[in-house]
Amino acid sequence: MATPMIDPALFEQLKSKIETDTKTGKELDQILDDLNQHIAFTQGLFSRIHSTPRSKYPSLLGQVEEGIRKEIESVGKLSQFASQYPYYKYNYKWTRMNQDAISTVLLCTWLGGMGSEARPGELGRLLTLEEVGEVFQVPVNLKDQDAFHVTIEEYLLALINIVDELSRLAMNSVTLGDTAMAVQISSFIKDLHAGFQVLNLKNDILRKRVDSIKYAVKKVEDVVYDLSLRNLIPAKASE
Amino acid sequence: MVGFKRDYQGNAKKHHGPKPAAAPKSTVRNAYTPMFERLRDELDAHHDRRDRIGKASRDVTALSKKIIFSLQRVRQIDASLPQDIQAEVDSRLAEIAKLLASIAPEVQDINRYRYSRSLFCLEELVEALTFSHYLKTQTLVDQAHLAQVVEDLARQGAAPEDEVMADAGATPVPGPGEQAGQLAAEAPVIGITQEDYLYGVFDLTGEMMRFATTTSALTGRMASGDGQDEPRTIVEDMHDLGSLFEMLPHAGGGKNVTWENKLEVMRQSVQKVEKLGYDRTIRGSERPKGWIPDLTTDDQPNSP
Repeated sequence: MATPMIDPALFEQLKSKIETDTKTGKELDQILDDLNQHIAFTQGLFSRIHSTPRSKYPSLLGQVEEGIRKEIESVGKLSQFASQYPYYKYNYKWTRMNQDAISTVLLCTWLGGMGSEARPGELGRLLTLEEVGEVFQVPVNLKDQDAFHVTIEEYLLALINIVDELSRLAMNSVTLGDTAMAVQISSFIKDLHAGFQVLNLKNDILRKRVDSIKYAVKKVEDVVYDLSLRNLIPAKASE
Repeated sequence: MVGFKRDYQGNAKKHHGPKPAAAPKSTVRNAYTPMFERLRDELDAHHDRRDRIGKASRDVTALSKKIIFSLQRVRQIDASLPQDIQAEVDSRLAEIAKLLASIAPEVQDINRYRYSRSLFCLEELVEALTFSHYLKTQTLVDQAHLAQVVEDLARQGAAPEDEVMADAGATPVPGPGEQAGQLAAEAPVIGITQEDYLYGVFDLTGEMMRFATTTSALTGRMASGDGQDEPRTIVEDMHDLGSLFEMLPHAGGGKNVTWENKLEVMRQSVQKVEKLGYDRTIRGSERPKGWIPDLTTDDQPNSP
């Protein structure tokens, strides 16, 4: 046969496609590197919340907001870059970071940070998926358009992150003498737990993580139990 | 009817088998319940879609494997497959076409990569189609042409029953993009990704190895093209294919386990075939020319 088994052009095409893919991956990694740093820094700042009395929250949250601003900037770059490619082709690279970034925002707002002129921060405020999208200035739950966005799974997983973090805070706030905080966290976590039970979960990562919420509930209930035994629950919050 | 499992004392175990259709949970309603209900509906739609795609995908995989088995009964590289085998291949392809058409609307745009993992059938289909193409033309079909074939399959499956069944198995297709508009332009199609193609071609080497082994055992000569003084044999083709993959940069930047594994399996196939080539060269002449073992004559209707 005159024709060769493999057309030389076929090799060249495959080679250049793989090379382009690899290059894209590397560029993406650079953007993600920055994002990762900002997230790690913000999370690090947040670890101080466990030793910060509530009166000092505003200054700590102010610093956290600074970190979040950098996260938002990085996510913006990521969004711009990633939207050139099929979203789910590379999304495994950043979905974990997205979750972490979202959870810093969720935690910050829940603790009363990120207030605006129109809406001052308030303790116990939970941002919805759409509001998270507004914070990051990216779309959410895109179905008809192949571009960067925040997925439902990322939002829910971020929510589970803050449940863990808050259950720890419940304990530490009691140590700092802030029993009202523990009680409020307890009721929030219980509500979320009930919320997660509304979902029909499949055997995937979400299911695994949701299963962990019950331990957070248990942990916080134990704290509240200890408080109530000793009559330490503030009258207003105990209703 | 669903069975149930028993524990070691023989009592029926609870919580096994498919759960009864989600009994409404009596959850306490709170401020977040509506939000979770909304997200639940979205997630359910996603899970259902993934299940549907997965089911169709499993069927396509099984059908593709059957096509490959049929093709392994071919004994020579020839522009047309033996009629009975071609008929088998065509009927399987028609079934595949329907399945592909049924899930095509679910894997458009953003959902193509979202459900990539559920679409593992495409790799298998690529393997079957490239193998069929090789047996007919002794060449490797490129990704654009193959994508065209798969797209046409999805279109055929979507077309009304009677006008279906053009020759899908025949891979000589006009350039990508042409002809497409004529069938059912608006019917959604399924695209082949680079991974589907490459991994399918990796697996093609295994099929070629099997084909080379059976044909050389049964016909006493290496499979090769016809009608020339020195036709190219499958040994050379395997070497070509082997070099193709050895020379390609690793997709996914070198940490790709699937790639590594497939590369290793491919190398073994190449070496098996080159051993065959050696055996044929050194010992092939000891057999009388055209000698065929008796046992094969029954199940081996010679193609025209």
